[in-house]
Amino acid sequence: MKRVIILGQTNAGKTLFTINFAAYLGVQSITFTFSDKQRGSYTRTIEIQDAIELLVSDRAHHTRSIQSAVLQIPWGKAAKRFEILDTAGLSDGIHSDETVRRGMAYTLATVREAEIILHVLDSALIAKKNVLHSIGEVDYQVAQFGQLHTGYAILANKIDVPHVKEGLDKICEEFPGHFVIPISALLKLGFKEVRDFVKRHL
Amino acid sequence: MANELHVNEPERIYGLVEHGEISVSEALSMIRKSTNQFGKAEVEISKEERIAKIQRELTKLIGLDSVKSLVLEIQAFVEITQRRISARLASDPVVLHMIFKGNPGTGKTTVARIIGKLFLEMGVLSKGHSVEVERADLVAEYIGQTAQRTREQLRKAAGGILFIDEAYSLARGGEKDFGKEAIDTMVKTMEDQRSDLIVILAGYSEPMEEFLETNPGLKSRFPITIEFPDYSAFELFKIAEEMLEQRDYQLNKAARRKLFRIIEDVRKKEQVNFGNARAIRNLIEKSIRQQAVRLVSKKTTSRTQLMEISDDDIQEVVDA
Repeated sequence: MKRVIILGQTNAGKTLFTINFAAYLGVQSITFTFSDKQRGSYTRTIEIQDAIELLVSDRAHHTRSIQSAVLQIPWGKAAKRFEILDTAGLSDGIHSDETVRRGMAYTLATVREAEIILHVLDSALIAKKNVLHSIGEVDYQVAQFGQLHTGYAILANKIDVPHVKEGLDKICEEFPGHFVIPISALLKLGFKEVRDFVKRHL
Repeated sequence: MANELHVNEPERIYGLVEHGEISVSEALSMIRKSTNQFGKAEVEISKEERIAKIQRELTKLIGLDSVKSLVLEIQAFVEITQRRISARLASDPVVLHMIFKGNPGTGKTTVARIIGKLFLEMGVLSKGHSVEVERADLVAEYIGQTAQRTREQLRKAAGGILFIDEAYSLARGGEKDFGKEAIDTMVKTMEDQRSDLIVILAGYSEPMEEFLETNPGLKSRFPITIEFPDYSAFELFKIAEEMLEQRDYQLNKAARRKLFRIIEDVRKKEQVNFGNARAIRNLIEKSIRQQAVRLVSKKTTSRTQLMEISDDDIQEVVDA
Protein backbone atom coordinates (compact mmCIF):
# COMPACT_ATOMS: atom_id res chain seq x y z
CA MET A 1 0.00 0.00 0.00
CA LYS A 2 1.43 3.35 -1.03
CA ARG A 3 1.65 6.20 1.41
CA VAL A 4 0.61 9.79 0.87
CA ILE A 5 2.13 12.24 3.30
CA ILE A 6 0.71 15.69 3.92
CA LEU A 7 3.45 18.21 4.72
CA GLY A 8 3.52 21.91 5.32
CA GLN A 9 3.95 24.73 7.76
CA THR A 10 1.83 24.87 10.81
CA ASN A 11 -1.66 26.28 10.19
CA ALA A 12 -1.53 25.60 6.46
CA GLY A 13 -4.64 23.44 6.76
CA LYS A 14 -3.19 19.96 6.59
CA THR A 15 -5.56 18.28 9.02
CA LEU A 16 -8.69 19.88 7.58
CA PHE A 17 -7.57 18.84 4.11
CA THR A 18 -6.96 15.26 5.26
CA ILE A 19 -10.38 14.90 6.86
CA ASN A 20 -12.31 16.62 4.08
CA PHE A 21 -10.41 14.69 1.42
CA ALA A 22 -11.43 11.47 3.17
CA ALA A 23 -15.04 12.71 3.17
CA TYR A 24 -14.70 13.58 -0.52
CA LEU A 25 -13.62 10.00 -1.23
CA GLY A 26 -16.86 8.86 0.32
CA VAL A 27 -16.28 7.86 3.93
CA GLN A 28 -18.80 8.69 6.65
CA SER A 29 -16.43 8.17 9.51
CA ILE A 30 -12.69 8.08 9.50
CA THR A 31 -10.49 5.60 11.33
CA PHE A 32 -7.41 7.45 12.46
CA THR A 33 -4.32 5.81 13.83
CA PHE A 34 -2.52 8.29 16.02
CA SER A 35 1.11 7.52 16.41
CA ASP A 36 3.80 9.41 18.16
CA LYS A 37 7.29 8.49 19.05
CA GLN A 38 6.80 8.40 22.79
CA ARG A 39 3.41 6.93 23.39
CA GLY A 40 3.24 4.48 20.53
CA SER A 41 0.02 4.31 18.54
CA TYR A 42 -3.69 3.91 19.09
CA THR A 43 -6.70 3.85 16.78
CA ARG A 44 -10.01 5.73 16.95
CA THR A 45 -12.95 5.82 14.57
CA ILE A 46 -14.51 9.26 14.41
CA GLU A 47 -17.43 10.78 12.45
CA ILE A 48 -16.23 13.34 9.92
CA GLN A 49 -17.92 16.28 11.65
CA ASP A 50 -16.54 15.28 15.05
CA ALA A 51 -13.08 14.81 13.58
CA ILE A 52 -13.11 18.37 12.26
CA GLU A 53 -14.21 19.72 15.62
CA LEU A 54 -11.70 17.65 17.53
CA LEU A 55 -8.61 17.79 15.38
CA VAL A 56 -8.78 21.03 13.45
CA SER A 57 -7.83 24.25 15.15
CA ASP A 58 -6.54 27.64 14.16
CA ARG A 59 -3.95 27.41 16.88
CA ALA A 60 -0.43 26.74 15.68
CA HIS A 61 1.04 23.28 16.33
CA HIS A 62 -2.32 21.72 17.11
CA THR A 63 -1.34 18.45 15.47
CA ARG A 64 1.61 16.93 17.26
CA SER A 65 1.45 13.29 16.32
CA ILE A 66 1.01 11.57 13.00
CA GLN A 67 -2.60 10.78 12.17
CA SER A 68 -2.98 8.18 9.51
CA ALA A 69 -5.98 6.61 7.83
CA VAL A 70 -6.51 4.09 5.06
CA LEU A 71 -8.58 5.44 2.18
CA GLN A 72 -9.49 4.16 -1.24
CA ILE A 73 -9.90 5.58 -4.71
CA PRO A 74 -12.20 3.92 -7.27
CA TRP A 75 -10.10 2.12 -9.84
CA GLY A 76 -12.05 0.64 -12.71
CA LYS A 77 -14.50 -1.75 -11.11
CA ALA A 78 -12.41 -2.12 -7.97
CA ALA A 79 -10.68 0.38 -5.71
CA LYS A 80 -7.09 1.08 -4.80
CA ARG A 81 -6.19 1.58 -1.19
CA PHE A 82 -3.61 3.99 0.13
CA GLU A 83 -2.61 5.37 3.48
CA ILE A 84 -2.88 9.08 4.12
CA LEU A 85 -0.60 10.56 6.77
CA ASP A 86 -1.43 13.87 8.36
CA THR A 87 1.65 15.25 10.08
CA ALA A 88 2.72 17.80 12.63
CA GLY A 89 3.41 21.18 11.04
CA LEU A 90 6.96 22.14 10.24
CA SER A 91 8.32 25.55 11.06
CA ASP A 92 11.47 27.54 10.52
CA GLY A 93 14.10 27.82 13.16
CA ILE A 94 14.23 25.77 16.31
CA HIS A 95 11.03 25.59 18.31
CA SER A 96 11.30 26.05 22.06
CA ASP A 97 8.78 23.32 22.95
CA GLU A 98 10.25 19.86 23.00
CA THR A 99 7.01 18.05 22.13
CA VAL A 100 6.64 20.22 19.03
CA ARG A 101 10.21 19.43 18.02
CA ARG A 102 9.61 15.75 18.61
CA GLY A 103 6.55 15.91 16.37
CA MET A 104 8.61 17.52 13.62
CA ALA A 105 11.38 14.97 13.96
CA TYR A 106 8.81 12.22 13.67
CA THR A 107 7.35 13.88 10.59
CA LEU A 108 10.80 13.93 8.99
CA ALA A 109 11.34 10.28 9.80
CA THR A 110 8.05 9.45 8.10
CA VAL A 111 8.69 11.52 4.97
CA ARG A 112 11.25 9.07 3.70
CA GLU A 113 8.80 6.22 3.84
CA ALA A 114 6.13 7.94 1.77
CA GLU A 115 5.79 7.60 -2.00
CA ILE A 116 3.61 10.65 -2.52
CA ILE A 117 4.16 14.04 -0.90
CA LEU A 118 1.41 16.65 -0.83
CA HIS A 119 2.86 19.94 0.30
CA VAL A 120 0.21 22.31 1.66
CA LEU A 121 0.82 26.06 1.41
CA ASP A 122 -1.38 28.84 2.76
CA SER A 123 -2.02 30.96 -0.34
CA ALA A 124 -4.17 33.46 1.58
CA LEU A 125 -1.26 34.25 3.87
CA ILE A 126 1.10 34.45 0.91
CA ALA A 127 -1.28 36.88 -0.83
CA LYS A 128 -1.47 39.07 2.24
CA LYS A 129 2.16 39.11 3.30
CA ASN A 130 5.54 39.45 1.69
CA VAL A 131 6.96 36.16 0.38
CA LEU A 132 9.76 36.47 2.92
CA HIS A 133 7.31 36.27 5.78
CA SER A 134 4.89 33.74 4.42
CA ILE A 135 6.92 31.10 2.59
CA GLY A 136 9.37 29.54 4.99
CA GLU A 137 12.85 28.22 4.38
CA VAL A 138 11.32 24.90 5.29
CA ASP A 139 8.92 25.14 2.32
CA TYR A 140 11.79 25.60 -0.11
CA GLN A 141 13.59 22.67 1.45
CA VAL A 142 10.49 20.48 1.20
CA ALA A 143 10.13 21.47 -2.46
CA GLN A 144 13.75 20.59 -3.16
CA PHE A 145 13.31 17.34 -1.34
CA GLY A 146 10.16 16.74 -3.39
CA GLN A 147 12.11 16.98 -6.62
CA LEU A 148 13.58 13.61 -5.80
CA HIS A 149 10.08 12.16 -5.61
CA THR A 150 7.96 11.56 -8.66
CA GLY A 151 4.80 12.00 -6.61
CA TYR A 152 5.24 15.54 -5.32
CA ALA A 153 2.61 18.26 -5.63
CA ILE A 154 2.00 21.60 -3.99
CA LEU A 155 -1.52 22.20 -2.71
CA ALA A 156 -2.14 25.95 -2.66
CA ASN A 157 -4.78 26.00 0.05
CA LYS A 158 -7.39 28.55 1.17
CA ILE A 159 -8.52 29.71 -2.28
CA ASP A 160 -11.94 30.43 -0.75
CA VAL A 161 -10.48 33.55 0.87
CA PRO A 162 -11.00 36.71 -1.25
CA HIS A 163 -8.10 38.23 -3.24
CA VAL A 164 -6.11 35.01 -3.15
CA LYS A 165 -5.10 35.15 -6.81
CA GLU A 166 -1.94 37.07 -6.03
CA GLY A 167 -0.87 34.34 -3.60
CA LEU A 168 -1.29 31.66 -6.25
CA ASP A 169 0.82 33.66 -8.68
CA LYS A 170 3.53 34.06 -6.08
CA ILE A 171 3.53 30.32 -5.35
CA CYS A 172 3.95 29.47 -9.05
CA GLU A 173 6.71 32.04 -9.26
CA GLU A 174 8.56 30.77 -6.19
CA PHE A 175 8.28 27.07 -7.06
CA PRO A 176 8.79 26.86 -10.81
CA GLY A 177 8.59 23.43 -12.35
CA HIS A 178 6.43 22.00 -9.60
CA PHE A 179 2.88 20.79 -9.94
CA VAL A 180 0.62 23.27 -8.11
CA ILE A 181 -3.02 22.44 -7.39
CA PRO A 182 -5.18 25.30 -6.01
CA ILE A 183 -7.55 23.91 -3.39
CA SER A 184 -9.82 24.90 -0.60
CA ALA A 185 -9.71 22.37 2.18
CA LEU A 186 -12.73 24.05 3.75
CA LEU A 187 -15.03 24.03 0.68
CA LYS A 188 -13.51 20.88 -0.90
CA LEU A 189 -12.50 22.79 -4.02
CA GLY A 190 -9.88 21.31 -6.33
CA PHE A 191 -10.23 17.87 -4.73
CA LYS A 192 -10.88 16.16 -8.05
CA GLU A 193 -7.44 17.26 -9.26
CA VAL A 194 -5.83 16.05 -6.06
CA ARG A 195 -7.60 12.71 -6.38
CA ASP A 196 -6.44 12.34 -9.99
CA PHE A 197 -2.90 13.25 -9.01
CA VAL A 198 -2.83 10.65 -6.24
CA LYS A 199 -4.43 8.10 -8.52
CA ARG A 200 -1.76 8.65 -11.17
CA HIS A 201 0.97 7.87 -8.69
CA LEU A 202 -0.58 4.89 -6.92
CA MET B 1 26.24 21.99 14.10
CA ALA B 2 25.42 20.58 10.71
CA ASN B 3 28.28 18.17 10.66
CA GLU B 4 28.83 16.49 7.31
CA LEU B 5 29.54 13.30 9.12
CA HIS B 6 25.97 12.86 10.26
CA VAL B 7 24.59 13.09 6.78
CA ASN B 8 24.30 9.39 6.22
CA GLU B 9 22.56 8.68 9.46
CA PRO B 10 18.93 9.77 9.35
CA GLU B 11 18.26 8.58 12.89
CA ARG B 12 20.86 11.00 14.11
CA ILE B 13 19.41 13.82 12.04
CA TYR B 14 15.96 13.29 13.60
CA GLY B 15 17.61 13.20 17.01
CA LEU B 16 19.27 16.56 16.35
CA VAL B 17 15.89 18.07 15.41
CA GLU B 18 14.27 16.63 18.49
CA HIS B 19 16.95 18.00 20.77
CA GLY B 20 16.68 21.38 19.14
CA GLU B 21 20.16 21.42 17.71
CA ILE B 22 19.25 21.95 14.08
CA SER B 23 16.16 23.31 12.37
CA VAL B 24 13.83 21.28 10.17
CA SER B 25 15.17 23.03 7.08
CA GLU B 26 18.71 22.04 7.88
CA ALA B 27 17.59 18.48 8.54
CA LEU B 28 15.74 18.27 5.23
CA SER B 29 18.73 19.54 3.33
CA MET B 30 20.95 16.99 5.07
CA ILE B 31 18.56 14.17 4.25
CA ARG B 32 18.31 15.36 0.68
CA LYS B 33 22.06 15.46 0.26
CA SER B 34 22.37 11.90 1.41
CA THR B 35 19.79 10.77 -1.12
CA ASN B 36 21.27 10.14 -4.52
CA GLN B 37 19.91 11.28 -7.85
CA PHE B 38 18.00 8.11 -8.54
CA GLY B 39 15.75 8.89 -5.65
CA LYS B 40 16.99 5.82 -3.90
CA ALA B 41 18.21 6.77 -0.49
CA GLU B 42 21.79 5.88 0.23
CA VAL B 43 20.77 6.12 3.83
CA GLU B 44 19.19 2.69 3.39
CA ILE B 45 22.64 1.12 3.56
CA SER B 46 23.09 0.11 7.13
CA LYS B 47 26.25 0.42 9.15
CA GLU B 48 26.79 -3.34 8.93
CA GLU B 49 26.61 -3.29 5.15
CA ARG B 50 29.06 -0.44 4.94
CA ILE B 51 31.46 -2.30 7.19
CA ALA B 52 31.02 -5.43 5.10
CA LYS B 53 31.78 -3.39 1.99
CA ILE B 54 35.04 -2.16 3.48
CA GLN B 55 35.89 -5.70 4.57
CA ARG B 56 35.37 -6.88 1.00
CA GLU B 57 37.71 -4.15 -0.16
CA LEU B 58 40.29 -5.56 2.23
CA THR B 59 39.81 -9.21 1.32
CA LYS B 60 39.98 -8.33 -2.36
CA LEU B 61 43.62 -7.34 -1.95
CA ILE B 62 45.86 -10.04 -3.31
CA GLY B 63 47.94 -11.96 -0.77
CA LEU B 64 48.45 -10.34 2.66
CA ASP B 65 46.59 -13.15 4.40
CA SER B 66 48.14 -12.57 7.80
CA VAL B 67 47.46 -8.83 7.55
CA LYS B 68 43.84 -9.41 6.65
CA SER B 69 43.17 -11.76 9.50
CA LEU B 70 44.86 -9.41 11.95
CA VAL B 71 42.78 -6.45 10.78
CA LEU B 72 39.59 -8.48 11.12
CA GLU B 73 40.76 -9.55 14.57
CA ILE B 74 41.24 -5.92 15.62
CA GLN B 75 37.86 -5.04 14.20
CA ALA B 76 36.17 -7.82 16.16
CA PHE B 77 37.96 -6.74 19.31
CA VAL B 78 36.88 -3.12 18.92
CA GLU B 79 33.31 -4.17 18.21
CA ILE B 80 33.11 -6.38 21.28
CA THR B 81 34.74 -3.74 23.45
CA GLN B 82 32.06 -1.28 22.31
CA ARG B 83 29.36 -3.80 23.20
CA ARG B 84 30.95 -4.45 26.57
CA ILE B 85 30.99 -0.73 27.28
CA SER B 86 27.31 -0.47 26.46
CA ALA B 87 26.67 -3.45 28.75
CA ARG B 88 28.60 -1.59 31.46
CA LEU B 89 31.26 -4.27 31.79
CA ALA B 90 34.81 -3.51 32.73
CA SER B 91 36.90 -2.61 29.72
CA ASP B 92 40.30 -1.12 29.19
CA PRO B 93 40.54 1.82 26.84
CA VAL B 94 41.32 0.50 23.39
CA VAL B 95 44.70 1.67 22.18
CA LEU B 96 44.95 1.23 18.46
CA HIS B 97 48.26 2.79 17.52
CA MET B 98 50.09 0.46 15.20
CA ILE B 99 53.40 -0.45 13.73
CA PHE B 100 53.56 -1.62 10.14
CA LYS B 101 56.70 -3.47 9.18
CA GLY B 102 57.51 -4.39 5.64
CA ASN B 103 59.32 -3.50 2.47
CA PRO B 104 58.09 -0.70 0.24
CA GLY B 105 55.19 -1.60 -1.99
CA THR B 106 53.81 -4.34 0.23
CA GLY B 107 50.51 -2.59 0.81
CA LYS B 108 51.10 -0.67 4.03
CA THR B 109 49.54 2.59 2.90
CA THR B 110 46.62 0.84 1.24
CA VAL B 111 45.84 -1.12 4.38
CA ALA B 112 46.18 2.04 6.51
CA ARG B 113 43.57 3.79 4.38
CA ILE B 114 41.20 0.86 4.65
CA ILE B 115 41.64 0.75 8.41
CA GLY B 116 40.77 4.46 8.53
CA LYS B 117 37.53 3.88 6.67
CA LEU B 118 36.71 0.84 8.76
CA PHE B 119 37.18 2.67 12.05
CA LEU B 120 35.16 5.60 10.77
CA GLU B 121 32.19 3.31 10.15
CA MET B 122 32.67 1.63 13.50
CA GLY B 123 32.60 4.99 15.22
CA VAL B 124 36.15 4.75 16.56
CA LEU B 125 37.36 7.69 14.47
CA SER B 126 35.30 10.73 13.64
CA LYS B 127 36.74 11.41 10.18
CA GLY B 128 38.68 8.33 9.11
CA HIS B 129 40.99 10.14 6.71
CA SER B 130 44.67 9.35 6.64
CA VAL B 131 47.49 11.87 6.63
CA GLU B 132 50.68 10.42 5.22
CA VAL B 133 53.87 12.04 6.39
CA GLU B 134 57.60 11.36 6.53
CA ARG B 135 60.50 12.75 8.50
CA ALA B 136 60.71 15.99 6.55
CA ASP B 137 57.09 16.82 7.38
CA LEU B 138 57.72 16.51 11.10
CA VAL B 139 61.27 17.62 11.73
CA ALA B 140 62.37 21.22 11.18
CA GLU B 141 65.82 22.74 10.74
CA TYR B 142 65.91 25.00 13.73
CA ILE B 143 65.44 24.47 17.39
CA GLY B 144 61.89 24.82 18.67
CA GLN B 145 60.24 24.48 15.28
CA THR B 146 59.98 20.72 15.24
CA ALA B 147 57.35 20.55 17.96
CA GLN B 148 55.30 23.11 16.11
CA ARG B 149 55.55 21.29 12.82
CA THR B 150 54.74 17.93 14.36
CA ARG B 151 51.76 19.38 16.20
CA GLU B 152 50.51 20.85 12.93
CA GLN B 153 50.53 17.39 11.33
CA LEU B 154 48.88 15.84 14.35
CA ARG B 155 46.18 18.49 14.20
CA LYS B 156 45.59 17.71 10.53
CA ALA B 157 45.29 14.01 11.34
CA ALA B 158 42.91 14.45 14.29
CA GLY B 159 39.90 12.24 13.83
CA GLY B 160 41.81 10.01 11.46
CA ILE B 161 45.11 8.26 10.95
CA LEU B 162 48.59 9.76 11.03
CA PHE B 163 50.72 7.47 8.89
CA ILE B 164 54.43 8.08 9.39
CA ASP B 165 56.39 6.42 6.63
CA GLU B 166 59.94 5.35 7.34
CA ALA B 167 59.41 6.28 10.96
CA TYR B 168 62.81 4.92 12.02
CA SER B 169 64.41 7.91 10.36
CA LEU B 170 63.11 10.01 13.25
CA ALA B 171 65.73 8.41 15.46
CA ARG B 172 68.55 8.79 13.00
CA GLY B 173 71.13 11.47 13.68
CA GLY B 174 71.77 10.74 17.30
CA GLU B 175 71.09 12.66 20.49
CA LYS B 176 71.20 16.18 19.06
CA ASP B 177 68.81 15.48 16.21
CA PHE B 178 65.39 17.08 16.35
CA GLY B 179 63.77 13.77 15.46
CA LYS B 180 63.58 13.02 19.15
CA GLU B 181 61.59 16.19 19.73
CA ALA B 182 59.13 15.05 17.07
CA ILE B 183 58.71 11.69 18.82
CA ASP B 184 58.17 13.34 22.20
CA THR B 185 55.55 15.74 20.83
CA MET B 186 53.78 12.89 19.12
CA VAL B 187 53.71 10.71 22.22
CA LYS B 188 52.38 13.61 24.28
CA THR B 189 49.52 14.27 21.86
CA MET B 190 48.73 10.57 21.62
CA GLU B 191 48.22 10.49 25.37
CA ASP B 192 46.04 13.60 25.33
CA GLN B 193 43.78 12.71 22.42
CA ARG B 194 43.70 9.10 23.15
CA SER B 195 40.42 8.27 21.52
CA ASP B 196 40.22 10.10 18.24
CA LEU B 197 43.60 9.65 16.60
CA ILE B 198 45.50 6.60 15.45
CA VAL B 199 49.20 6.85 14.74
CA ILE B 200 50.80 4.28 12.48
CA LEU B 201 54.57 3.98 12.30
CA ALA B 202 55.68 2.27 9.13
CA GLY B 203 58.99 1.18 7.68
CA TYR B 204 61.35 -1.61 6.78
CA SER B 205 61.37 -4.44 9.32
CA GLU B 206 64.92 -4.26 10.63
CA PRO B 207 65.39 -0.52 11.03
CA MET B 208 61.95 -0.42 12.66
CA GLU B 209 63.06 -3.07 15.17
CA GLU B 210 66.14 -1.03 16.04
CA PHE B 211 64.09 2.13 16.27
CA LEU B 212 61.74 0.56 18.79
CA GLU B 213 64.62 -0.96 20.75
CA THR B 214 66.22 2.43 21.18
CA ASN B 215 62.93 4.04 22.23
CA PRO B 216 61.50 1.61 24.75
CA GLY B 217 58.66 3.99 25.63
CA LEU B 218 57.31 3.67 22.12
CA LYS B 219 56.87 -0.06 22.05
CA SER B 220 54.29 -0.07 24.83
CA ARG B 221 52.36 2.75 23.23
CA PHE B 222 52.03 0.90 19.94
CA PRO B 223 50.52 -2.38 21.00
CA ILE B 224 49.63 -3.62 17.53
CA THR B 225 52.32 -4.75 15.14
CA ILE B 226 51.47 -5.89 11.65
CA GLU B 227 54.10 -7.54 9.47
CA PHE B 228 53.71 -7.09 5.75
CA PRO B 229 55.43 -10.03 4.07
CA ASP B 230 56.84 -9.69 0.59
CA TYR B 231 54.55 -10.94 -2.13
CA SER B 232 55.30 -14.34 -3.58
CA ALA B 233 56.05 -14.60 -7.29
CA PHE B 234 52.58 -15.96 -7.93
CA GLU B 235 50.91 -13.16 -5.98
CA LEU B 236 52.91 -10.58 -7.88
CA PHE B 237 51.86 -12.18 -11.12
CA LYS B 238 48.22 -11.97 -10.07
CA ILE B 239 48.66 -8.33 -9.11
CA ALA B 240 50.12 -7.67 -12.55
CA GLU B 241 47.19 -9.37 -14.23
CA GLU B 242 44.71 -7.40 -12.16
CA MET B 243 46.42 -4.13 -12.97
CA LEU B 244 46.25 -4.94 -16.67
CA GLU B 245 42.64 -5.98 -16.44
CA GLN B 246 41.70 -2.70 -14.78
CA ARG B 247 43.33 -0.88 -17.67
CA ASP B 248 41.60 -3.09 -20.30
CA TYR B 249 44.71 -4.92 -21.42
CA GLN B 250 45.41 -8.62 -21.76
CA LEU B 251 48.57 -10.67 -21.83
CA ASN B 252 48.91 -13.20 -24.59
CA LYS B 253 50.29 -16.65 -23.81
CA ALA B 254 53.92 -15.91 -24.55
CA ALA B 255 53.72 -12.70 -22.57
CA ARG B 256 52.26 -14.48 -19.54
CA ARG B 257 55.14 -16.95 -19.58
CA LYS B 258 57.70 -14.22 -19.96
CA LEU B 259 56.24 -12.06 -17.23
CA PHE B 260 56.09 -14.94 -14.79
CA ARG B 261 59.68 -15.91 -15.55
CA ILE B 262 60.89 -12.36 -15.01
CA ILE B 263 59.10 -12.10 -11.69
CA GLU B 264 60.46 -15.47 -10.54
CA ASP B 265 64.00 -14.57 -11.58
CA VAL B 266 64.00 -11.35 -9.68
CA ARG B 267 62.44 -12.98 -6.64
CA LYS B 268 65.13 -15.64 -6.65
CA LYS B 269 67.88 -13.07 -6.69
CA GLU B 270 66.19 -11.61 -3.63
CA GLN B 271 66.75 -8.03 -4.42
CA VAL B 272 66.00 -6.06 -1.30
CA ASN B 273 63.94 -3.50 -3.12
CA PHE B 274 61.94 -5.89 -5.18
CA GLY B 275 59.10 -8.14 -4.17
CA ASN B 276 56.70 -5.37 -4.42
CA ALA B 277 53.63 -4.17 -6.09
CA ARG B 278 55.13 -0.82 -6.95
CA ALA B 279 57.88 -2.39 -9.05
CA ILE B 280 55.26 -4.47 -10.81
CA ARG B 281 53.27 -1.38 -11.61
CA ASN B 282 56.31 0.23 -13.19
CA LEU B 283 56.90 -2.91 -15.22
CA ILE B 284 53.31 -2.96 -16.41
CA GLU B 285 53.25 0.71 -17.29
CA LYS B 286 56.46 0.29 -19.24
CA SER B 287 54.97 -2.61 -21.23
CA ILE B 288 51.88 -0.56 -21.99
CA ARG B 289 54.07 2.15 -23.44
CA GLN B 290 56.07 -0.43 -25.41
CA GLN B 291 52.87 -1.81 -26.85
CA ALA B 292 51.87 1.69 -27.93
CA VAL B 293 55.22 2.14 -29.69
CA ARG B 294 54.76 -1.21 -31.46
CA LEU B 295 51.27 -0.34 -32.67
CA VAL B 296 51.63 3.30 -33.56
CA SER B 297 53.24 2.65 -36.94
CA LYS B 298 50.36 0.44 -38.06
CA LYS B 299 47.63 2.17 -40.03
CA THR B 300 44.73 0.18 -38.67
CA THR B 301 44.50 -1.63 -35.39
CA SER B 302 41.77 -3.99 -34.26
CA ARG B 303 40.20 -3.94 -30.84
CA THR B 304 42.02 -7.14 -29.90
CA GLN B 305 45.35 -5.72 -30.99
CA LEU B 306 44.76 -2.65 -28.87
CA MET B 307 44.16 -4.83 -25.84
CA GLU B 308 46.93 -7.35 -26.34
CA ILE B 309 50.31 -7.16 -24.63
CA SER B 310 52.77 -9.49 -26.35
CA ASP B 311 56.03 -10.87 -24.99
CA ASP B 312 58.04 -8.29 -26.95
CA ASP B 313 56.37 -5.52 -25.00
CA ILE B 314 57.67 -6.77 -21.71
CA GLN B 315 61.17 -5.68 -20.87
CA GLU B 316 63.62 -7.92 -19.13
CA VAL B 317 65.08 -5.30 -16.88
CA VAL B 318 63.18 -4.58 -13.71
CA ASP B 319 64.08 -1.43 -11.96
CA ALA B 320 62.95 -1.32 -8.42
